[in-house]
Amino acid sequence: MSALAACKLKASDYKSGTRPVWCPGCGDYHVLLSLTKSVAELGLPPEQIAVVAGIGCSSRIPAYLNCYGFHGVHGRALPLATGLKVARPDLTVICAGGDGDGFSIGGNHLLHACRRNVDITYVVMDNEIYGMTKGQPSPTTAQDWDSELTPGGTGVSPFHPLVIALASGANFVARAFSGDPSGTTKILVDAISHPGFSFVQVLSPCVTYRPDQREWKTMVHPPPVAFTTDAAQAARRVMTDDGFNIGVLYKGSRDRYGQTVDCNARYERDLDEEFLV
Amino acid sequence: MNKAVENYSQHFTLAELIVHALVIELEAVQSYKDLKEQMEECGNSEVAGLFEEMSKLEAGHAEKIREKAGFLELPELAPWEFRWAGLEPPENIDLAGVHYLMTPYQALALALENEQSAVAFFDAIAHDCTDRHIRSMAQEFADDERQHVAWLKEWLAKYPAPDADWDHDPDPPVAID
Repeated sequence: MSALAACKLKASDYKSGTRPVWCPGCGDYHVLLSLTKSVAELGLPPEQIAVVAGIGCSSRIPAYLNCYGFHGVHGRALPLATGLKVARPDLTVICAGGDGDGFSIGGNHLLHACRRNVDITYVVMDNEIYGMTKGQPSPTTAQDWDSELTPGGTGVSPFHPLVIALASGANFVARAFSGDPSGTTKILVDAISHPGFSFVQVLSPCVTYRPDQREWKTMVHPPPVAFTTDAAQAARRVMTDDGFNIGVLYKGSRDRYGQTVDCNARYERDLDEEFLV
Repeated sequence: MNKAVENYSQHFTLAELIVHALVIELEAVQSYKDLKEQMEECGNSEVAGLFEEMSKLEAGHAEKIREKAGFLELPELAPWEFRWAGLEPPENIDLAGVHYLMTPYQALALALENEQSAVAFFDAIAHDCTDRHIRSMAQEFADDERQHVAWLKEWLAKYPAPDADWDHDPDPPVAID
């Protein structure tokens, strides 16, 4: 083994000593594994990473990581992550959470985070349910999901996260499956490395309230074609998507926020001027 | 995307084969450790203890593979560069099969299924490979895994199959009261 390899951080080095309290079998365990593997592959020092989350089962993830973390207010992870990245562009900022936190309570923030194109990666662990509050339907729950809380179905069309992210200007759009940790790791490496706002929807089964999602492993499949850099082509593909294509859909080349204007320099100068005596 | 075994052997070098064998065991060690903690968190101490034992056994297997590798320089592969037959290394427990009320029998049955997948993985390589050394090593790994299958079958025979209502929880995580 080379000296360099011996010094390389392992995925386990990015895990904190805090034990996850997710249900056994929860897909989020594999997302945690994939995230630690991806930052290990990228060789990112833990002190250069910040993971920001909102509220929900999946939003507990910063506690389980050995890097900077912020467990914010429900639905407000993206504004927090955006502020952090603008103030500290040297950090790798990863935002994480669930479908309820990201698409309902924080839905409006998603639109503007995509539009602003700040260089952060947003990982949404989508289980189509509010698990922490015991199984209410979320924005991605299928219209015909029949449960005690939704007799006869929700009667509401589900939100299509990839369509929304693409239409709102996200610079990288992908879907992963938690049960494919190696594939998810590769997608996260690509997402973190890609400049601008990267959106990754991870299908992450809730085995407690959606035991039917155990079948997702037999339903996911690779996309029929490779990713595109053409947003119009990506839009056509995603509109006919069955929801189980796993892989990168779109890689854009839009300037990330701050690339054309040095926002930080101007901000710091303005601040300095205020304090001049 | 399941654990069906495909023909990958023509692409394996000896070092690649060994690194695959090693990573199968190392990932299994971590997978069982994680499961042990998950089961402890929800009070299923019997299955937690079993997963701890499995983790120790896999660590022993990993050590044996390291010994076999000797001074051979092993390649450093990114997680997605490994060529598994399924989505994960064959000995990783499929989380979809895990339940907080699972019995030792079910835990061992999952472990057995994974060892059988490992046998199939190495058998496929041994069967299709044209290089004598690689074929021999793959056969050796397959035989080791067959031994693990035999142990697990013996172990499994000591536990009763679960009752029909094994997942009955008197205080379930209900959606509504």
